[in-house]
Amino acid sequence: MEQMKNNFIVQAWLVLILALCFGSSIASINLALSPIIKTNKINETMEKVPELVLGINGAAKLAISGKKLDINSQMVTIERKNSRISYKVFQAINEEEVSGWVVKASGQGYADKIELLIGLDKTMESITGLFVLEQKETPGLGSKISQWDFRKQFVSKKTKSPIIPTKTGASASNEIDAITGATISSRSVCSIVNVAAKNVRTALAKTPFKINQEK
Amino acid sequence: MAHDPTPFERFIQGIIPENPVYRQLLGLCPTLAVTNNMQSAITMAGAVTFVLLCANIITSLIRNLLKPHLRIVIFTLTIATFVTLVDRFLAAYMYTMSKSLGPYIPLIIVNCIIIARCEVCASKQDVFTAASDAIGQSMGFALALASIAGVREILGTGMFFGIRVLPAAWPDWVIMALPPGAFLTFGLLLGVVNFIESKRAEKKIHKG
Amino acid sequence: MNYIADIFLIAISATLINNFVLYYFVGICPFIGVSKNVSMAVGMGCAVTFVMTIAAFLSWTITKFILIPGAPVSSFIAGIFLPAEQAAHIDLTILSYIVYIFAISSSVQFVEMYVRKFFPALYKSFGVFLPLITTNCAILFACLTIMSHVAGVDNPADAWDLAKSLILAIFGGVGFTIAIVIMAGIREELDFCDIPKAFQGAAITLIVAGILAMAFMGFTGVDSGLGNMIKTSDTTAVNAIPVETNHQQIKV
Repeated sequence: MEQMKNNFIVQAWLVLILALCFGSSIASINLALSPIIKTNKINETMEKVPELVLGINGAAKLAISGKKLDINSQMVTIERKNSRISYKVFQAINEEEVSGWVVKASGQGYADKIELLIGLDKTMESITGLFVLEQKETPGLGSKISQWDFRKQFVSKKTKSPIIPTKTGASASNEIDAITGATISSRSVCSIVNVAAKNVRTALAKTPFKINQEK
Repeated sequence: MAHDPTPFERFIQGIIPENPVYRQLLGLCPTLAVTNNMQSAITMAGAVTFVLLCANIITSLIRNLLKPHLRIVIFTLTIATFVTLVDRFLAAYMYTMSKSLGPYIPLIIVNCIIIARCEVCASKQDVFTAASDAIGQSMGFALALASIAGVREILGTGMFFGIRVLPAAWPDWVIMALPPGAFLTFGLLLGVVNFIESKRAEKKIHKG
Repeated sequence: MNYIADIFLIAISATLINNFVLYYFVGICPFIGVSKNVSMAVGMGCAVTFVMTIAAFLSWTITKFILIPGAPVSSFIAGIFLPAEQAAHIDLTILSYIVYIFAISSSVQFVEMYVRKFFPALYKSFGVFLPLITTNCAILFACLTIMSHVAGVDNPADAWDLAKSLILAIFGGVGFTIAIVIMAGIREELDFCDIPKAFQGAAITLIVAGILAMAFMGFTGVDSGLGNMIKTSDTTAVNAIPVETNHQQIKV
């Protein structure tokens, strides 16, 4: 055994064989699992689209009727003099006509990045839904932006005028109630929505959405 | 040297007497990071169990061929491979959990518990002993994580495994769900465990 | 100008706001083990910062040029065996964890040799702690953060370049040093206090760390406020470039 331990050839073979075994196990797992992981990533966004575009009732009706939405996606980059922002834009098509859009936007919240999915109607003039993909706001306070009570205020708001959070009861049509104790988180969500809606609407007015039709 | 611990001894030692977190103070990074709710804690414990078991078994199988200088490289390679497997598995079948655990699954590679067990037990004893050592230590680890996560989740959000257990009138101690709460809870529980251990040691001295 | 603002914000965030030890819980083992006196803490902090920077450099380079899909080296080598279409999409990110841990081990070996040759007294005082830096979570965490900003972004134009990665590593190390030095200072004072036996050692260190973490929580939101202040808001006309990346036609 001592002989074996001191034998460099044995050591070299050991490392080589281990590397081969481990390498092949990793490769096979990768082959088997990476399609599943890719689907998980895509579904995370895709399965929210019907709800965001058609509303909860509309999506339920669609599911019952057995029909499905065609979704095309594109990366839209807005370039200004000093900055560039990119958004992933999804176009939802129901029976040959555009029924709505979903924009994936992110911005700085109170603690860390906030990632949103904003549902817009087909002319991009009003909001049809809002979903929070990722947030790291204060639990119990800022984290309430993920709850339906806060998000439902955005439905049917027009995008032409910026949405403003108020602390004292929302009255005007472009106002929403901020979360008590989480003013900055509420403000961040509103600003991300406003900026994204304006940018994407202006951008796609200039350069229409191109669909790569594979015949 | 006196007789090496038997498999059963290794198993029992790992759960409380030589608990990796409370007694050996190893693997503290995941202990503090993923214990803000029970689900993440149990998932992390499961992942560490798998990696520790596989690493111990492989190390024990090749223990006679390891030259002292090369063993760290071999341990690292083995552990990194199994962690990659666990990470991909979680991403495929428990995607939301994988996202919330984030970078802490790959950090199992540098988790001192696994390297310490490979070094202390697996590289010196046979496969069955190594396996029971792995299972014992993992159960100890799971116990430690669960104790901290239980306290943090119940006090911090009033929930246990996502189900509300405290009345709605409970003002959530949000600090418990945040980083300071992790340190405080673990420090206090560690003090309690040290106290119990010292009382037990005293009793043994009085008896013997 | 916004680029410099970005770098500044990454630095502030890594040092104070998202401090590696007090927010992300990485590097706890040396934090509790080595923080008994200030001079050792400073030495440990500097060593970790140095190793972290080298490891970050290695991981960024390897990720950018070998691991991500479409990377130059892997496409070139694959192009010898596979048709060009397939070679351009070779994705080696599955190997990233193994690659990073070996990059870290090599950096530690390299630093150890360097310190042993040129600073023998320092090497003696470090003892066994230098090789132990390999299992320091903070360094692997820095590499993983860099990977998520290079390989894990939706839009390749948003990926971090070398400067941002090195800044994260350097200032993450600085944040680690700050936390460990403060802790060492507090522990030197604690030696004169009457602590119950059960809490001596690690337990009281953790409780103090909790209070320290609470203090550092006061920095939350500083980076978003600073960001709004520094970044110049742009009112020039929008110039849209629809970058056609993945066109997925998926029935939901």
